[in-house]
Amino acid sequence: MPRVERVVVTVATLLMIAVLAQRLYTRGGPYFTRPVTIVDRVGPRPYEIEPTLRLLPQIRPLLPRNASVACFQPVKGVQAYQMDNFFAAVGQLPYQKVIPSFAAATDVPLENLAQYVVAIKEPFTHPSYDLVATFPQGRLYKVRR
Amino acid sequence: MKDVLWLLAMLALPLFGSGVLRIPLVRNLDLPARVSLAFATGAVVLTTLMFAMSVVGIHWTRAAILIALVMVLAAARPALRGTAMPFARRPLALTLLTVITVLTLYGILDARETCGDLIYFWGPKGQQFYLSEKIDTEFLAWPHYSLMHPDYPPLIPEIYAWGSMAAHRFSWWGALLLTPIYLLATTFAFRGLVRQRLGDERASAYAVLLGALLAFGFARGMVAGAGEPPLILFEIIALTALTFHGHSREGIALAAIALTGVVATKVEGAAFAAILIFAFILTRRSIKAALAAALPAAAFLGAWILFASHYKLIDQYGRAGGKLNLAGLWPVLHWTTIQASYGVWWAPWIAVSAPLATTRRWRQAAMPLVVSGGLVASTIYFYLHGEDLSWWLLWIRTSAERVLLAPLACLLVASAASSE
Repeated sequence: MPRVERVVVTVATLLMIAVLAQRLYTRGGPYFTRPVTIVDRVGPRPYEIEPTLRLLPQIRPLLPRNASVACFQPVKGVQAYQMDNFFAAVGQLPYQKVIPSFAAATDVPLENLAQYVVAIKEPFTHPSYDLVATFPQGRLYKVRR
Repeated sequence: MKDVLWLLAMLALPLFGSGVLRIPLVRNLDLPARVSLAFATGAVVLTTLMFAMSVVGIHWTRAAILIALVMVLAAARPALRGTAMPFARRPLALTLLTVITVLTLYGILDARETCGDLIYFWGPKGQQFYLSEKIDTEFLAWPHYSLMHPDYPPLIPEIYAWGSMAAHRFSWWGALLLTPIYLLATTFAFRGLVRQRLGDERASAYAVLLGALLAFGFARGMVAGAGEPPLILFEIIALTALTFHGHSREGIALAAIALTGVVATKVEGAAFAAILIFAFILTRRSIKAALAAALPAAAFLGAWILFASHYKLIDQYGRAGGKLNLAGLWPVLHWTTIQASYGVWWAPWIAVSAPLATTRRWRQAAMPLVVSGGLVASTIYFYLHGEDLSWWLLWIRTSAERVLLAPLACLLVASAASSE
């Protein structure tokens, strides 16, 4: 292998390793503590669904199999569809039926309401739901039938 | 413990792919290259098997899949001998590869490279397929899950379901830890396939550069747990096989397997396969060999599209005939160019093309160069199907760094081919 080529390839490799290290460093600290979720350090700012991924494993044991569940961050106490919270819940609650947030809207007939609501961060104020449990990242509600 | 079991199931994939060792070209490679190629082949074999079982209505039980594995092993009769550590005589290459692997492992285990797509659809799909023991078409067809791309090819969720069958649950960390495995498999497979033509020193140097490029690209593009690591593994094997061994039936056979993996992994794999076959015909003028390389991939893709159509799952494949919006040419070029800088002044492009600039044997590098250029052009073409500025900006911002990894890696193959 000619010397020039060897130097060029080695320098190119070192350059890529340097930018890799820089990329990992700029995700921010802490650098050597065990992450709780798989998105803990994906960016310098907290990932949008980090609270959801912390909350759902705590709520999972409280939910019966095949229960219908809506997962969202309420806005002014009412349901609000957030794609990321919805799909994160589909992955985190494999034994339940995760349905969109509008299944917990105020104009939905009682029999069609989601059986459970996982409210991220903010309280949920629907009159047909009772609070079941509270966690640092949110609350679990059950429909009253 | 379940995460370990999940990963062990992944490490058993080479057993499913041991048939590839019957190809003399593969049999004569060093051990890590053979294991890597068997790993890639195993993913293709297992995907095809699980897809076929879903089509005919056989549930994915561990017993059924293990019986299939025993049959594969009996037919393949693999022999695992040969050099275990190909970089042993290259201390610099070995050191650099170790640093790359350690950094990637750190990025994965410290949750710095996780892809949102793993959380939003690859993971949920794999998990659901495991629970229903089949490709769950009811789950995929539910309108509220349509953003999960119901017609995306089945390789990743099926592989995830296989791991979950072994561990009795899906492993999110296991899916992430597949990234360094794909990274090393790509590096070892590439090194093994070019070593005969480039010699040990050059093959090692370019393989480590490929590893460094992909490790950075995976971290920057945030692809851990998503489709790009396996897609690039298959793409590199297919391109390298045709570039360095395209004159032989063995190279064609290997490319055919890898191309099947390409189209079974992601929708854009179909574009890669078409561009590679076009480039092969253009530079080698062998239509018969090109058809042989493309046939298994075309058969798999055709079967998958038929399956998806039957269950009314067509989504992304149906957009191929969409309207081109040339009004977006300038913003698409502008934002794609900005994203192509990877935030480091286009360093990856400079790093992989610098060796090409020193050797300048363009003819030898023609095929991977055409593929690289074709992939960039096809990316721009797909972006031009957007509707408005905000849509272009969002799509390019969220995907360009991932999608452009493939042409970058092809450019590196061109550099290696040019050095011969």
